[in-house]
Amino acid sequence: MKKVAVIFGGQSTEHDISIITALSAIIRPLRLRKQYEVIPVYISKTGTWYSEPELTDVLTFQTSRIDEILQKAKPIWLEMGNGLTLVKGGLKTTKTRIDIVFPAMHGTNGEDGALMGLLQMSGVTYVGCDLRSSVIAMDKALSKVVVQTAGIDVAKSIHISKREYQKKPNYFIDLAKALSLPLFVKPTHLGSSIGISRNSSYDELTNALEVALHYDDAALIEEAIPNLIELTVPVMGNDMPRAGLVEKPRTDPDEFFDFSTKYMNQGGKKIGTQKTSQGSQGYSELPANITKELYARAEKTALAVYTALGCMGTARVDLLVDSKTDTVYFNEINPLPGSLYAHNWRQAGVAPVQLVEELIELAIERHAAHQELDHSFSSNFLRQF
Amino acid sequence: MRRFLGYWSWRYPTYITYMLQASEYKPAAYIAWWLRTSDFRYVMKRRILDSTTKATLIRIALRLLYMVGIFAICYSLYVSISSRNLAWLLLGLLLFVVWPLVTAFSVLGLVWLGEVLIQRPKERAIQSRAAARSATLSARKIAIAGSYGKTSMKEMLQTILSVKLNVRATPGNKNTLAGNSFFIQNLLGDEDVLVFEFGESYVGDIAALCQLVQPQIGIITGITEAHLDTFDSQENLVGTIYELSDYLGEAHVYKNADSDYIREHIVGHDRLAYSHTGVNGWTVTDIHTSLQGVSFIAHRDGRSLPLVSGLIGAHHVGPLITCVDIAHRLGLNDEEIATGVARTKPFEHRMQTYILHGATIIDDTYNGNPVGIRSGLSVLRTVEARRRIYVTPGLVGLGEKSDTIHEAIGREIARSADVVVLMKNSTTDALRRGVERGGFKGRLILVGEPLEFYQNIDQFVAAGDVVLMQNDWTDNYT
Repeated sequence: MKKVAVIFGGQSTEHDISIITALSAIIRPLRLRKQYEVIPVYISKTGTWYSEPELTDVLTFQTSRIDEILQKAKPIWLEMGNGLTLVKGGLKTTKTRIDIVFPAMHGTNGEDGALMGLLQMSGVTYVGCDLRSSVIAMDKALSKVVVQTAGIDVAKSIHISKREYQKKPNYFIDLAKALSLPLFVKPTHLGSSIGISRNSSYDELTNALEVALHYDDAALIEEAIPNLIELTVPVMGNDMPRAGLVEKPRTDPDEFFDFSTKYMNQGGKKIGTQKTSQGSQGYSELPANITKELYARAEKTALAVYTALGCMGTARVDLLVDSKTDTVYFNEINPLPGSLYAHNWRQAGVAPVQLVEELIELAIERHAAHQELDHSFSSNFLRQF
Repeated sequence: MRRFLGYWSWRYPTYITYMLQASEYKPAAYIAWWLRTSDFRYVMKRRILDSTTKATLIRIALRLLYMVGIFAICYSLYVSISSRNLAWLLLGLLLFVVWPLVTAFSVLGLVWLGEVLIQRPKERAIQSRAAARSATLSARKIAIAGSYGKTSMKEMLQTILSVKLNVRATPGNKNTLAGNSFFIQNLLGDEDVLVFEFGESYVGDIAALCQLVQPQIGIITGITEAHLDTFDSQENLVGTIYELSDYLGEAHVYKNADSDYIREHIVGHDRLAYSHTGVNGWTVTDIHTSLQGVSFIAHRDGRSLPLVSGLIGAHHVGPLITCVDIAHRLGLNDEEIATGVARTKPFEHRMQTYILHGATIIDDTYNGNPVGIRSGLSVLRTVEARRRIYVTPGLVGLGEKSDTIHEAIGREIARSADVVVLMKNSTTDALRRGVERGGFKGRLILVGEPLEFYQNIDQFVAAGDVVLMQNDWTDNYT
């Protein structure tokens, strides 16, 4: 039976979301399939790595039991080289060689390519976007540049580094006045809509930038798209990606699809007098109730973005639509969708067990292709030196 | 080691009481189950002990016996230590090893004594009083026998006839002598129609039930391979079910002509032989089926009666037209009959549908016979679905014919489903062979933990799937 390590948690603002993704969307269906030995690998908020059987129960994380377990548990470390082995000390050191890694770490160090780099260097098969596509995808500014070169529309924006802003804040506020209101301010490298704000006047930008730059070392000031429809599309695949269903989050025109709407308990935006429910799964139209032409264009744009950024495994593409002109703009891409966006795939006809199995098969396929590449190059360079 | 830990678990008396109860107090079935159990702590997987008076008394007796054993072991060890006598130590160890077996098997003696001294005399008295009461009842009595479809027929009749008449039927699957006697004793006496379900386990069961109930109308819903472990042969099973015809005479018994074994016994033109084409002057046309139900048109004496039922599957047409004829005979008019048929809907765990995350689940887990399996598969073949998923553990009680029947079922599954989920047990190999020989090109999944699968079925389905789950094995067959 292949050993699959599911890595989750981490020192990230999305630590808690990662726990849910790991436990409900990955570990549970994988275990039910009985084809894999599933090994939880949890990275605590202090950055210590653990692997204990109790770390697969969500109740553990909802109570103080997690602290009790971590107090008694032995940390693990990684042995790398022609694969990945988990090593746990104690009276007797135990080593567990891993066949496949399933990353479930959102945000910093997880989704941004850091973990992927580690896994790539170790030579282990791993699921999801690779180092290159993760780095680009998690950088809102960089990803906009890349998709723009592929002919996809993006909203006008300016990119600000924290260091530069601290030197000359007014300069960037003045620069932003070239953009039309309202304006969104976003941390460049974070997901789950953390630190994002919508600003109706230029005076609000200073505060907004302080918030964004509290969480990140760079930020984006971006024009809002008028007559807005927000759409989101999960995509899965390597060389031949396919889209799930085009989904339309239910938001008031003046509000946006923020962290609270996405994740919080009974969260949901009011639509008139009607309140949606079920937090992340109750907020949207699935499939989106839009024209057939717009639906097709959104799907096509999502696939084009996925391919342009070199994504593999799965990702979720967020789009903005000006409903008057029907122009589809790329907003951002999430290389590790929360809960793998399993609710969308299920509606598209892919059961949760199928989803994780397919992602593993895609990972194996990519790994095999990568192995075929020659990574060495003979030369006389050293002799010349 | 696990087995031993189970022996000395405090709940061991509860476990073996449950095993006895689930085996219906049949010694052979209980002993076979006990011998193949490797960990007693997990026998109560699908159900729990039903705390009847009998079960409670047995459990108390076992607990006392258990405590006597513990005392004897402790005493032996104490004496061996205090007197430094090896013989006492050996006795203690011997008791430690054999006492769980003593507990497990002495209970059979207890049960036998209880049956002989208390239960059987009590039952005979109840049955005698019930038979006397039954003779005084003015209601029309309808008896239903067969190796499948009895409960469905009973519930259809009750639903349809209740539009106009005061109808009572034996509850649930209480189809034994005791169950029917208890039912009779609790009748008010003002009923218009009584519907009895007759269960068969041994030769003579149906004849005894006929003597008890004294029905005027009989229905034989179908005969297939079932309970062959108690009947020894198919001939015995057929003969037992036909005890209903022996009592009433062929002219008063409806018979399912769609059932192979019954069709063989039909002589000449039997007006009460029913099928999907009609019965007793009724003919059926325009049958349409979907996941919402079945519709057809019943014709008789130049008139046509369109009927719509919430029951799923064309195999319900024969039983429905039989109910229509009985309702007609008992004075319901066409409108009342149509209203009654429209009220019929899937019964619990019999082609009962529900939606789960956009997938349609057809729960047919009370279906436990080859004919029912085939009917369900024919429904699965005809529905529109993204994927057709078929889930089953196979069938029990088929005796020596089990492998042959399961292979045939497997071949039928192969042409009906895209995904096949088999619960691992003694029938899996034969089913799998049949599926593979049937040219199956889809996905085959073997499940070792059925309960876990059923509790997490939402993880295996997606929108547009149609899942048919047929039969469910109780703990005593695992």
